[in-house]
Amino acid sequence: MDRGGRPLVYWLSGGFVFRKVVSPFHKLDPRVKLLVSGEFFVLSLAASSVVEVALVLAAIVSVAAVAKSLKRIGRTIVFSSGFAAFILVVNILFGLGVPNAVLYSVRFLAIISSTSVFFVTTSPDELEQIMRWWKLPRDVVFAFVTAVRFIPVVMLDAFQIMDAQKSRGLELEKGSIPRRVRNTIPVLIPLVVNSVIRSGELAEAMESRAYGSSPKPTSLYGLSARWYDWSVLVLGIVLMVGTLYIYRSVRFPF
Amino acid sequence: MTLIEFDRVTFVHQTGTVALRDVSLRVSKGETVAIVGENGAGKTTLVRHINGLLKPSSGAVRVDGVDTRKITTATLSRKAGIAFQNPDHQLFSESVESEVKFALRNFGFTEEAIAERCDWALNFFGLAEYRKTSPLVLSGGEKKRLTLACILAWDPDIVVLDEPTVGQDALQKEKLSQIVKMLQATGKTVIIVSHDIEFLWPLQPRLVVMSGGRIVADGPTGQVMADKDVLVGARVTQPQLLRLYLALRVRPDKPFFDVPTAERWIAEAAP
Repeated sequence: MDRGGRPLVYWLSGGFVFRKVVSPFHKLDPRVKLLVSGEFFVLSLAASSVVEVALVLAAIVSVAAVAKSLKRIGRTIVFSSGFAAFILVVNILFGLGVPNAVLYSVRFLAIISSTSVFFVTTSPDELEQIMRWWKLPRDVVFAFVTAVRFIPVVMLDAFQIMDAQKSRGLELEKGSIPRRVRNTIPVLIPLVVNSVIRSGELAEAMESRAYGSSPKPTSLYGLSARWYDWSVLVLGIVLMVGTLYIYRSVRFPF
Repeated sequence: MTLIEFDRVTFVHQTGTVALRDVSLRVSKGETVAIVGENGAGKTTLVRHINGLLKPSSGAVRVDGVDTRKITTATLSRKAGIAFQNPDHQLFSESVESEVKFALRNFGFTEEAIAERCDWALNFFGLAEYRKTSPLVLSGGEKKRLTLACILAWDPDIVVLDEPTVGQDALQKEKLSQIVKMLQATGKTVIIVSHDIEFLWPLQPRLVVMSGGRIVADGPTGQVMADKDVLVGARVTQPQLLRLYLALRVRPDKPFFDVPTAERWIAEAAP
């Protein structure tokens, strides 16, 4: 697959980055999206058999399909599958048995996918609204949301720096692992320096636009749950409680 | 002799944006080529193919007969040095001296050659006094010169300058112009991506105009600059000297000729 000349990690990282899509799930109140994601998280942790956790994973994939974000969640699963394989091997080697090893690795995939569903469908603005709703300090909210918003920018910076260093003969695609790790120094230093410079410039620009002058600034957007938000909220809680009940009452063979 | 060959190159970004559409271009050894065009025309994307940073989605790019898909960027860069637009994207060393030596070490030069080439580059770009200074504390113009020093130190056959005049004062632009002329004189193949027509005009390079990922004009600067329709389409303006010449029409019998410098213009326009 053509990745536009960008490294694999750039393609994979798309599994956690918001992209504006018109879908019923994207339209939901961000608090409901967080709740749905949290429910999947809880159900993944509570599952005690491979069938149970596989069902949760199937439910996450279904929600991703409704959110028209199947490819992005797919990237998350591809991204996590290496770690999942590691968990599988380690658990087998430590004598926990194949069923348990499979359970833990699939559970890992489900947990990562459940968080990915939230981040892929929730914009930084919506994230800010949730944090404000939690009454977190304004500066903390601003710092967190700005950091999230700048992830793609910093990534692009990183790739431009990699390009510049490769153009000076730095070999990032060949060599032993220790050598490759050592070769990341010429990439990391400019990246950190640029990020520090950018944060300073951003702070100055924000101050120049009167950031902090009002102790209680108003917000351009607000959170308001509509009937379908409430419907999804209630349906989500009912399904979670029902699933937990099934977990308790039905014993799956593996 | 063709040194760089773009053979029906199309490049599609991961987002699906088509950056280059069926671009074919041949650059001969020793030629100076300037690539101009509106923002997003595909200029930088095109030159990033030269050292293999980008590989074509279809078509082929060959540098000195070698397909860029079959060789790493680090290897190709020995032949084609690219000076990027933003110097902050490459400076990382403890000192200016070690910054220049970085690529030379990567390319396997001997310590003796490294010291010699480093001295030459620092002196040539007026950076010798900053030899032990951290590159991160240099001014914008000095950083830009340092990135050029880093490239020219390893003496590549092809020198690509991506927006070299950004952030440079008039004196530095003049110095840059002299450097390009020096490169031309020493038989280097020089490719300049720039919006700065006033900088390019006196150099009189072969001018390639890009728009929407395609090459819409390719020829001697004077000839391309006479085609107003092409320039308007690619959002490129004529240099002031040429506009003045055309507006005054002092030689109606000769509606257009190359006017690379004011001195030549005066000489040619004089009755």
